[in-house]
Parts: sequence; C-alpha cells; structure tokens
Amino acid sequence: MNRMNVVGHSVERPDAYDKVTGGKGYPVNVKLPGMLHAKILRSPYAHARIVGIDASRAEKLPGVKAVLLSRDVPQVKFCPVFFVPVDAPSMVLDFDVMNGEVVRYVGQPVAAVAATTAEIAEAALSLIDVEYEELPAVFTPEAAMQPGAPQLHPGAANNVAKNPSFVAGDVEKGFAEADFVFEGVYETQRQHTCYMEPRVCVAEMDRQDNVTIHVTTQHLFGTREKLAYALKLPESKVKVIKSPYIGGGFGGKLELSYMEPIATLLSKKSGGRPVRLEQTRHEDFITTTRNPIKVYLKTGVKKDGTFTARYARSVLDCGAYATHGAEVIMVHGAFGLFFNYHAPHTHWEGQTVYTNNMIGGGFRGYGAPQGSFAVESQIDEICDKLGLDPIEMRLKNARKQGEPHPFNPAFTIATYGLEDCLRQGAAKIDWPGRRSARGGDGVRKRGFGMAVHPVWVSGCMGFPDIYEHSGAIIKLNRDGTADLASAAMDIGSGQITTLCQIAAEELGLPAGAVRMSSGCDTDNVPFDAPTHASRVTYSAGNAVKAAAAAAKKRLFEVVATMMEVSPDDLEVANGTVSVKGAPGKSVTVAEAAQRAESPFVQMTAEGPKETTIGEKGTIVGIASLSPTSNPPPCAAQFVEVEVDTETGEVKVLHAVYAHDIGRVINPAAAEGQVEGGFQQGMGYALMEHIQFDPETGACLTSDFLDYKMPTAVEMPRRIDSIFIETDEPSGPFGAKSLSECCVITPAPAIANAIFDAIGVRFRQLPITPEKILAGLGKL
Amino acid sequence: MKQMIRLEVNGETHELAVDKDATLRDVLRDQIGLNGPKRGCDSGGCGCCTVHVDGRAVYSCLCYALSYDGASVLTADGLSTGADLHPIQQAFIDAGAVQCGYCTCGMMMSAKQLLDECPQPDEEQIRHGIAGNLCRCTGYVKIVDAVKLAAERLAK
Repeated sequence: MNRMNVVGHSVERPDAYDKVTGGKGYPVNVKLPGMLHAKILRSPYAHARIVGIDASRAEKLPGVKAVLLSRDVPQVKFCPVFFVPVDAPSMVLDFDVMNGEVVRYVGQPVAAVAATTAEIAEAALSLIDVEYEELPAVFTPEAAMQPGAPQLHPGAANNVAKNPSFVAGDVEKGFAEADFVFEGVYETQRQHTCYMEPRVCVAEMDRQDNVTIHVTTQHLFGTREKLAYALKLPESKVKVIKSPYIGGGFGGKLELSYMEPIATLLSKKSGGRPVRLEQTRHEDFITTTRNPIKVYLKTGVKKDGTFTARYARSVLDCGAYATHGAEVIMVHGAFGLFFNYHAPHTHWEGQTVYTNNMIGGGFRGYGAPQGSFAVESQIDEICDKLGLDPIEMRLKNARKQGEPHPFNPAFTIATYGLEDCLRQGAAKIDWPGRRSARGGDGVRKRGFGMAVHPVWVSGCMGFPDIYEHSGAIIKLNRDGTADLASAAMDIGSGQITTLCQIAAEELGLPAGAVRMSSGCDTDNVPFDAPTHASRVTYSAGNAVKAAAAAAKKRLFEVVATMMEVSPDDLEVANGTVSVKGAPGKSVTVAEAAQRAESPFVQMTAEGPKETTIGEKGTIVGIASLSPTSNPPPCAAQFVEVEVDTETGEVKVLHAVYAHDIGRVINPAAAEGQVEGGFQQGMGYALMEHIQFDPETGACLTSDFLDYKMPTAVEMPRRIDSIFIETDEPSGPFGAKSLSECCVITPAPAIANAIFDAIGVRFRQLPITPEKILAGLGKL
Repeated sequence: MKQMIRLEVNGETHELAVDKDATLRDVLRDQIGLNGPKRGCDSGGCGCCTVHVDGRAVYSCLCYALSYDGASVLTADGLSTGADLHPIQQAFIDAGAVQCGYCTCGMMMSAKQLLDECPQPDEEQIRHGIAGNLCRCTGYVKIVDAVKLAAERLAK
C-alpha cells in the first residue's frame, strides 16, 4: 500500500493534553449559574403496583425546588435506543420515563427531586411516601415463559418480547448428512460496560420550552430525537451540546435513559433553573448491562470438518423493558452465530424474554460475544473430538474475498484478510509449538487456545431501519489550518484524532493542522449516527473525507485564479498547492485562504485588480452521506493461559490478536483499542458478573468492590496486536473498522485454552476459580 | 453545619467552610473548582479521585475534608505549571496511554507515588503501583509503558 503523509501514522492525540492537565471538557464538569441538583427515588420492589404517592412532606423541605411525579411526565411509550427511530417497527415500544402505575424492576424511577444541593435532594427522597402493592416477580426467562408466570407487559404472551427466526435449506437433512453431530448449551452473564465517567446530565428548559442539555451520550442527535419525543416537543426545541470528551461509553450510553427527561422536567418545574443529575456508581450498575443469553447450539459436520447443518436457539433475558434486547437478539443471531461461517442448512430461533431484572443495554460486540462464545467453543470441541486443526477447520468453513456479503448480497466482501490473520497470529504465539509448552506436571497447568471473529460490521449500512449517515463541515483558516465540525462523539476511542487525520490527508495539510471544533451542538452540525457498531472511522471518516474533498475543490479554484492555471492541474501537500509536475510554482494554503477572505483588491504587476467571484468567500466544504457498503473487519485471537489447579485461578500469560481492519489510520490508537478490548473480553471470560438477590431482585454487585474487573495486575504481561492491512475500496483511504472484534474473541479463546490446560470444558461464563475447582472435582 | 479548614492545594492556600460530611474530592471539585480528582464511584473502588495528601496518594472520595485541616494537597491539575508538562504527564501523552482520559489524572497520581518511592520500578512494581486505579479503555498496556518512560526521563 502506498505510504501517506498523515494517515497511517501514530500522530499525537490532540485531546491528550487536556486530559493529562486535569481534564476539562467532560459533561461531569458542567456547572451553570443557579444550578440545582437532582436525585431519583427508585422502587425497592422488583414488581409492584403503585397504589399511592404523597410528596407533600418532601416539597416542604427547605431547599427543595421541584418534585417530579409520574403525573408531571408525558405518558408515552417508545424505544429509547439511539440508532433507530423512536417508532422503529423492528423494535419494541415499551419504555416509559416514569410509569405511574407499575414498577417492573428494583431501581425503576418513581419520583425525583431537584434541590439546591444534592444532599437536600437525597434527604427529600426519604420524605416521599409511596404505597406499593407487591406483585409476584419472575427472574429467569425459563420461569417467565412458563404458563401461569406473572405477565409483565400487555401484548407479550408468555413474556416473549420478540421471537425472530430464520431458516435456510433443510436443517434436518443437513444433520442426516453429517458424520458427526455436536450439541451444547452455552450461557453468558450480565456484564457492565464500566465506563469510568458515570452518566450525568445538566438540563435547562425555559418557559418557552426551549431545552438545552449537556449529557454523557454516544449520540447527539439520538438524544435530541428521543428527548423531544419523551417530552412531546418538536425536535428543534431540543439543543444537545456536544461535550468535547466523554469518559467512556462502550455501548453503555447508547440510549436515552429516564434521567435526561427527568432532569429536563425538573428544570421546567423549578422555573427554568439548570438541573444537574449525576448517577451514583450503584445507579449506573443497574441502568444498562450486556444481556445474558443462553444458547443451545447443534452443529453437523463431515469427518473433514465441513459444516453440513447448524441450528441454534437463543434465549435472551432483556429484563423489565425490551429496549436494546430487541436488536441485540438480531445481531446475536446474525453476526454472533451464523454469518461467521458457511453452512448449507441453517435454522435459528431467538427469544427476547421479559423478566423483573434490570434492563439490558448496548455493550461493545452487541450480542456477538454471547454467540461467539458458543460457536467458537463448540468448534474447539469438534476439533478435539475429530482430531482436526482448529485453524484449518475454521478456514474450511470461512467466507472468502469476493463473495457476496452474508448480510446483504448487494454488498461484496471486497477485502478479507482472515487467513492472513490466522497464519500470522499463529506464528506470533508459536501455535505449532504449543503441544510441547502446554500441560505441566506441577500445580500450574499451561494451555493454548484460539478463537476468531470472522465477520463483523463497519457501521449499519444495509440494516433495515438503523440510522447510517454522517456529516461534516470543514473550514480553512487564514493561518493555513482547518476546523472540522462533526456530530460524531469521541467516547475515548480516538475519533477526534482519526477524523482529523483523514481530513488533513485529503486536504494536503500536515498532521495537527486540522482541529476538531469544540463548539458543536445539534443546531449547528449535520446529523451523524451514533458512535457504535464500529462505525465512526469508516462512516464518519467517509463523510469527513468528502467534506475535505469539497473544501479542496474550492481551494483549487481560488489558487487557480491566483496562479492563472486550471484547477485540474493542481495538487496539494504539506500545506502547499502547486502545479502537478512543476513544484517550483506554488501557493500556500494560508495564502489561498487569506486571498479568498481578503477585503482588498489585489495588487498585480499591471496595477490594482478587482478580486473575482471565484476567489471571494471562505473556503469551506460540507458533506452528509451514507457509506456505499458494510465491509467486514475480522480478527483471530490466540492466548496462552496458566491454570492453578489448587486455587482455581486462571492467569492469561500472553494474548495475540491479528486483525484485518483495512488500512490503519492511527496505529497507536488502533493498538490501544485492541488492548482495551482484551481487558473487557478477559473480564467477561473470567470474573465480571452482575449478580442479584434471587429472592428480591436487588443488585448485589453495584460497586467496584463487589464487581471485579481486571486491574493491571490481572492483565497478561504481553498483548501483541498485528494488523493485516487490506485496502478497502469503500472506506476512507482503505479503512474498515475496529473496536468490537477484539472484545468478542477473548472469552472463547480463554475457555479453549483452559480446556487445553486442564481438559475441562466450561460452557458457562464467567469461568471463576470456584468453577475451575468444581470442574476439577475439588469442590 | 460548616466548619472552617485550611488546605494548601497545588501551592495555593484556601480557607474553606466545609460540611462535616463533605469528602475531600467534593471540596476539591466543587469548592475549589478543580477537575483532576474525578468521581468514578464513592467507595474507593476505581481510583479516579486519587490525589496526594502530604506526599501520599489517597482516594479523595474516602477522605472527610474536615480531617485534613492544614494538609497539603497535590492534584493532577497542579502537576505542572506553565508550558512544560511534568514528565509523567508528557510520558502519558507520548506513550499513547490516554484514551477517554477519565482515569488518567488519578492514574498519574498513583504513578507519581510509585516513582517518588521507587524511582526505577520493574514492570511488576508498576502494575502493583497502579492496581488501585481502574481503566476500561487501554488494557493498561500503554499506561505501564508510560510509567516506564516517565521513570527513564526522571532519572536523567
């Protein structure tokens, strides 16, 4: 691939300086004059009818400025998920901000208070008297689907919120043609995204119903759409301010929660004073989670490992409201279970089931980790039983470059580096040498494992009702720099950096000469879909590149007038525009921008000369567009683990990733994403688990003392990231996407390595020391 | 009922009327206006609020401000003044250790405590030195690299 000036280099993140010098620019820092502080009163019951509520004592507490009850909240039901319209037909429209009649999980909001301090607001909550009539609750999907189970939502018979399925071929015929049939049940748990910045918003609603909100969100325009809908306002009444930085999201800030409308309505009730609502970590732990899914998976194979038939049934616990669970089940079935490999006969049945548990949400991987754990574990079981090579088995069934995309045959898989990922990753960890390195006679046993994620997305192009377009505005400055304005949120993964690199490359400016505007809001930038689905580098990158190309076209028109040449003959590099093949004659971008904005007539050898229409006017470029494809990134992962057979502790010693993400825009940022992805995937595999009291439904793991995620000590000492650079024709400078494959592969790779080490197969996450010891017959 | 305390914070003296149950973190953030000590939890679980009190790293969310009358506090906001960054700050940038950045300030303060006590730590010492600070973005790889780089630069 050709080397570029800015793209492909680990240029310094422009946000890093702010972040090491104290960290301005996060929503958590927003303080406004007259600001009030809000707290939410939450249900102590998992299922109850609200018989009565009396807030009169709370209203009298000095310092309390507003109390919000359900009667103050528009009673509308909608889908709060950002990436679909509020009334998307594929979703379930069951969410409400504050239900006045029934609560369906422990922690559901029933009232809220705004006061001059958070302490007064908290104290006022205890003065609100709520009379509940407790109802029978149900905490597992299996129990919820039983006849006679409490019915949580009208219209959802047996508590099934959604039951998608698909069939291709004749799966029974395929199983009959198989030499071997493998079956297993694979279960995953609730995992929290654990973004470090808690959810917070500061909302103002004036007496003309103009709303302004600062909020931890992964989507400016989704916040506007859903908040306006929840408040029954026209969208243009709601202005969402783009915070320069968000302290992590990982899918956990991908829907409107109840808190934004609650804060906004409290502001209105208190006469328009800004209201700040910051959740505690405990509240965040019960706001969203990765949905647990139980997968029954059956696979028919020939002796050589060729799939003949694949069947799966997936049961997803969406908790009290469907929200993301209606889409997670789809992505799980498609990209988690079936798009990854060829099989002539397939059949899948999915069920998203209501329970009185917390609501599920978005989380990096979005249903695929739950599916991949089943598929990639079972392939390892097949290889073990049939004596097949795990790499060759996967390649035998994998998709190939040039094939139609399994998701949408209108798209072609134009670039696909899976085989290189497997070969180079295997070489890095010395996969062929693993037999001699594994096992061990002592207490600690070593093992190697691998997993792949063969087909993932670069955004949502081709999904029937998911938003997928991006916009960007670029303006050249008279000092030769450029400002980029975009609604794309950087939630930490480096979009500010990569989008500025793409703009600089297209404009021929040096790295660092393009700056992301810190003053964007929903009033002044074009729509952008959320930061999710591994989409920003690819989709927003395409829009930024197009906006930069439009600005460059205008730049060349100005320079053509100045140099008296044709714009078609010009090129730009390192901030200088020159005639192709004649680099001696040139004009800097700064000179061109000055000339375009100059109020003066131009001095020439022939004397003063009027500037022409072609020169006048700021050099700007704007774009709003959808990508033309949805190219699949893919990844192979290899791990080496050590299992202590006395304590049950599993240590990951070494992790290797090999990714095809197209061209890498910023290698250091890409490595950083992958390394962080391993932390999340390893936590999922070995320790992270949101747990509830089985009698009451109350969360038992709602802070970082009870909910364990890997620290620097638990992490492997070595994580290698290999990038197989393909040149994706539909992506900006050949880029596809990153972010999610690296979270999907660790759990099955680690489970497979544990099997390699101690010969015990674990099909239920997380694989804790207790499970290891029980598996070894020691408990 | 508020009481007066005196704190020296990043070299400046502040006379503050604080509530008896106010945490040091909230006083630093809400009364002095610093952003460095961040709120990630309230239970000493995440390390985002780590600051130095009299030269020792503490979780400021677990400290009642009233107990620190007369103390000297250093936060990430005060690690450097002027144009030059502290070597730890510069190393975090150069090593690519900053992503969402929410853990960064606390992480740097734990790194500083480590390097104050142990100027040439090995990798295990670095990992244990920052084990009280959670990060969800980086997998800690480039953070460990940053601390190594800072140690090298501080030694020069």
